[in-house]
Amino acid sequence: MAGLVLLVLFVLLALLAPVLSPYDPLAQSIPESLSPPSITHPLGTDKLGRDMFSRMLYGARISLTVGLAVVALAGGLGTFVGLLAGYLGRWADELLMRVTDIFFAFPSLILAMAIAGALGPSLRNALIAVAVVSWPIYARLIRGQVLALREREFIQAARSIGVSNRQIILRHLLPNTLAPLLVQASFDMGTTILSVAGLSFIGFGAQPPTPEWGVMISEGRNYITTQWWLTGGPAIGILLLVAAFNLVGDGLRDILDPQLRR
Amino acid sequence: MKRAIYLMLSLLALLGLLAACTGVQPAAPASQPEAPAEQAAAPTEEAEPAEEAAPTEEAQPAEEAAAESAPATREETLIFAQDLTDLLSLDPAVVYEFGGIVVVGNVYETLVSFDPGDPTIKPLLAESWDIQDSGDMWTVTFNLNPAATFASGRPVTAADVVYSWSRAIDLNKSPAFLLIDVAQLTKENMQAVDEQTVEVKLPKTVSPQVFLSILSFTIGAVVDQAEVEANAGEDMGSTWLNDNSAGSGPYILEAWERDAQVRLRVNPNYWGEAPALKQVIMQNMPELANLQAAIETGDADIVQGLGSEQVQALEGNPDIQIVSADSTILVYIGMNAQSPPLDKVEVREAIRYAINYDEIITLLGGGGKLVQEIIPAGFLGHTGQNPFQQDLAKAQEFLTQAGVAEGTEIEFLVPTGLAPGGIEFSTLAAKIQNDVQQIGLTLNIQQVEVSELLNIYRAQEGEMVFIYWGPDFPDPDGNVTPFTNFEAQSIAWRNAWDNPEIAQLGKEAAIEQDPERRAELYQQLVERVMHEGPYIMLYQPTQIFGLRSNISGFKYDPIDTPNITFAAISKN
Amino acid sequence: MTRFIFRRILGLLLVLLGVSVFTFSLAQLVPVDPAVVALGQNAREEQIAAYRAELGLDRPVVEQYFIYLRRLLQGDLGNSIRTRRAVAADLLDFLPATIELSLAALLVSLLLGIPLGILASTQRNGLLDALARLFALVGGSLPIFYLGLLGLGLFYRQLRWLPGPGRLDTTMPPPTQITGMFTVDAVLTSNWPVLQNSLAHLVLPALTLGYYSTAVLLRMTRSAMLEVLSQDYVRTARAKGLRERWVVLRHALKNGMLPVLTTVGVTFGSLLSGAVLTETIFNWPGLGRYATTSVTSLDFPAVMGVTLVAAIVYPTVNMLVDLGYHLLDPRIKLD
Repeated sequence: MAGLVLLVLFVLLALLAPVLSPYDPLAQSIPESLSPPSITHPLGTDKLGRDMFSRMLYGARISLTVGLAVVALAGGLGTFVGLLAGYLGRWADELLMRVTDIFFAFPSLILAMAIAGALGPSLRNALIAVAVVSWPIYARLIRGQVLALREREFIQAARSIGVSNRQIILRHLLPNTLAPLLVQASFDMGTTILSVAGLSFIGFGAQPPTPEWGVMISEGRNYITTQWWLTGGPAIGILLLVAAFNLVGDGLRDILDPQLRR
Repeated sequence: MKRAIYLMLSLLALLGLLAACTGVQPAAPASQPEAPAEQAAAPTEEAEPAEEAAPTEEAQPAEEAAAESAPATREETLIFAQDLTDLLSLDPAVVYEFGGIVVVGNVYETLVSFDPGDPTIKPLLAESWDIQDSGDMWTVTFNLNPAATFASGRPVTAADVVYSWSRAIDLNKSPAFLLIDVAQLTKENMQAVDEQTVEVKLPKTVSPQVFLSILSFTIGAVVDQAEVEANAGEDMGSTWLNDNSAGSGPYILEAWERDAQVRLRVNPNYWGEAPALKQVIMQNMPELANLQAAIETGDADIVQGLGSEQVQALEGNPDIQIVSADSTILVYIGMNAQSPPLDKVEVREAIRYAINYDEIITLLGGGGKLVQEIIPAGFLGHTGQNPFQQDLAKAQEFLTQAGVAEGTEIEFLVPTGLAPGGIEFSTLAAKIQNDVQQIGLTLNIQQVEVSELLNIYRAQEGEMVFIYWGPDFPDPDGNVTPFTNFEAQSIAWRNAWDNPEIAQLGKEAAIEQDPERRAELYQQLVERVMHEGPYIMLYQPTQIFGLRSNISGFKYDPIDTPNITFAAISKN
Repeated sequence: MTRFIFRRILGLLLVLLGVSVFTFSLAQLVPVDPAVVALGQNAREEQIAAYRAELGLDRPVVEQYFIYLRRLLQGDLGNSIRTRRAVAADLLDFLPATIELSLAALLVSLLLGIPLGILASTQRNGLLDALARLFALVGGSLPIFYLGLLGLGLFYRQLRWLPGPGRLDTTMPPPTQITGMFTVDAVLTSNWPVLQNSLAHLVLPALTLGYYSTAVLLRMTRSAMLEVLSQDYVRTARAKGLRERWVVLRHALKNGMLPVLTTVGVTFGSLLSGAVLTETIFNWPGLGRYATTSVTSLDFPAVMGVTLVAAIVYPTVNMLVDLGYHLLDPRIKLD
């Protein structure tokens, strides 16, 4: 699908950023301040004369890395908790439900902002904040899956043979929850990238001079219609990357749908 | 289907109801903070504040209704847009931020003041004064203008003056050091001799001229004692004064909508010449692009803080006049002299030589001029020397001398939003970080809103802080004391830099009466601070205003408080 | 039914309690000393100590929490460090603006998303469907702050078609306060100039904020309708010879709306999140902008207040939606 192609393209660009960038994304050149796109600078330069194309490439790198980190953290924690709660049931499950209810009560960005604000402005803290906000979704998802699978024959059978709980969780339950997990992770990548960009935009994520796309839009916001390349580039970058993840998520869900139904 | 529609409608209605319940609140937010205070007070006292607060607020509108028939029209309103995010207070004893000072300066009056563009001190609430040498003290006697009245109608008396200054000393907020430390004013040394006469005694270590200059600043403003005491609450009326005014100036405070605007209305009982414009709205607009659009469309009559790109875009527009004026502000970076590696003077010198000042001036595009000393241009003692230029080799040498490892990190606190001169702080910060990186030091930029930055800075907890300073009174000592005198708990203190020798030099120069000798002393001092101090002085911004072409009477005078006198402005 | 409501309210209260613990714990992480900030740097040690004692800052953390909780129940959310007013007063001041904006955005997404979704479902895989899906994809992927900035830059600064940031023109006095929502108050007081002005100011922010939920609703409606349109009873209706439009509106729509209703509840949460960025860009004096300025100035009483209020509003709305869901189709078993 288009989504996958786009995604692979971005991953390649991000991985090869150091090779493909014509300039150091942090290298300033005041005399070239605010130059429009040209042969030497395909996406123009910003106020400090930094090459926007290079900054775009490194921005992709940052967005993908951060997105992966958040999804890994949130997904990992969430899956772990969800598996336990779903399998152990009763009090563990009740506790989990209450805890996730609390997290779900907060609109995600407001909670993320409060956490990032408390920890201090930095990309790392924004990452933590978004992960803290996201993990409950995975927990709920996996818990739901486990609850459905728990009563299935093959699990019952395994238990009756005397397979340990740990084995059941790891070898039987977990693989069967991978499908919805992947779908969620895919959509979550998109949401994370948007959240981190939003946090960086208001100054609570990546700090200057990091070439993060949200920061770049913030830096260029006074020139949005005059020097459009400053904000247009990062905005389209975010759009395409997030759309790619959304499309991939859609596609994955379509493929894995029959499994989900069950 | 119908049910679904009904359901959604009821959901919407419910939300609307929620808003309605919260919406039905008495309009005055000032009444709420007083409630807890009243609960604590004795029953007899309880009734009074509530009753006093209500009638004063209601009495005024009644008076206003009599004095003015209709709300101000667009032609009678001045809309002034600028970045007001640093606005923290409108209490003259507390205010110490640029936005607030402009408002307070137009609503309250001081004993003495300046005419815009004229550096000689002039009478205002005091029609004359007298300085006597009484042996071990100076005695300054002020004769108040008997015609002066507050907006409430009450006359401005000596008791009000003494009350106002005592209150400022008691509250002891940020600007209080001017009275307490610089003017060395104490409550015991001031008295109301009679209704119209105030007598002040000052120690010989204070220059009376400096004292008069300080009095022209908002800290010396006179408040209506009866009004403030009636609404004292728990903090001597400080909270109440954020939403109401008790001054004698040509305007009164109508409302402060936090983060949005400050509205001033003409004082119907003003004892001086009535202003031309009946209403002034100070609109908070922190975005350069919006400032440009506002002045182009006429949504604003005056905008402040335009950057070079905006000026370029507006040049040649027949509806707009661009007014540039030198400010007395200095934009600088403070380095904490007790925080390694900045505690070594060589490291501070190294950083000073690492920065490319020319490129910073280029970035400003006319928004500032290079100044590397602590006394701004236009003041006595300004040397005009700019010894620092980017010299990476020299900088590297200093670093090696100090023995600082490559890759040492320093936290760099940077305000969010616009710097004076019309450029984003973050842009300049990135430039400086880049320069300093070249000698192997890594600056970690942390953006914080300026009010919070000031809190951290004032607590001596910043490492490197990017900030600016405007002198409170038109005397070189207005900069020198804060920058050199550790005990004044001002800038030197914030950077944990205590150099008694240099401070002593500053104290000598402050009271030196001979201008030539004074300039000499300042030259010595300035040079020493340049190389030993914890400061990187960067530039002196040019304030750039955009005005609609029908505005006249506008004058920006950084020496005067307020910098801009609204009462003098009119529309053609 | 009453049992259900009772249980849900109980659950809500438990959640709110948990939220208060969470927010309180969060505030403990902040390195700012509220006493020093409130009293100023020049305050003497005794003053600071006295203030701290008054705030209860010298007590053990658990005790501080209970003090905090007690104050909360009395409606005392502390004082904002920045505005020097009670946080509760600030919130009440700013809440109506956010509600007005959210309602407007919700309206936009309902009026745009649902019809477009229905249309797309009837024209499956046609051009209209593809365009609608593209529109929805962009809506779910474009950063909202860019959209807002672009809208402002284009429609205000370049084209001058729409007014600039803010709820009303600077000189226009707000209407008599009844609900706090300018549009509603203007209608209620027959204040037509203000109505026109506030609607004009509402256009860009509502469209910006509403784009994301429009996209979500569009996709939801489309897939729900597709599902329904393939059902047997629809085929029967078609076989009977009923006109297509009649089939769609009368038979399919009602059942298709169910999942859409749940989505409305969910999108409300995203509206609150989106409001943060939208209000900041459009200088809209609502809770979202208050949250941003509070966080950037480390005004933690205010941040806690906003977070708390948001965490109350959102699950409450969800509960109401759940109620509505049940009312709509009694066959649906309640949780």
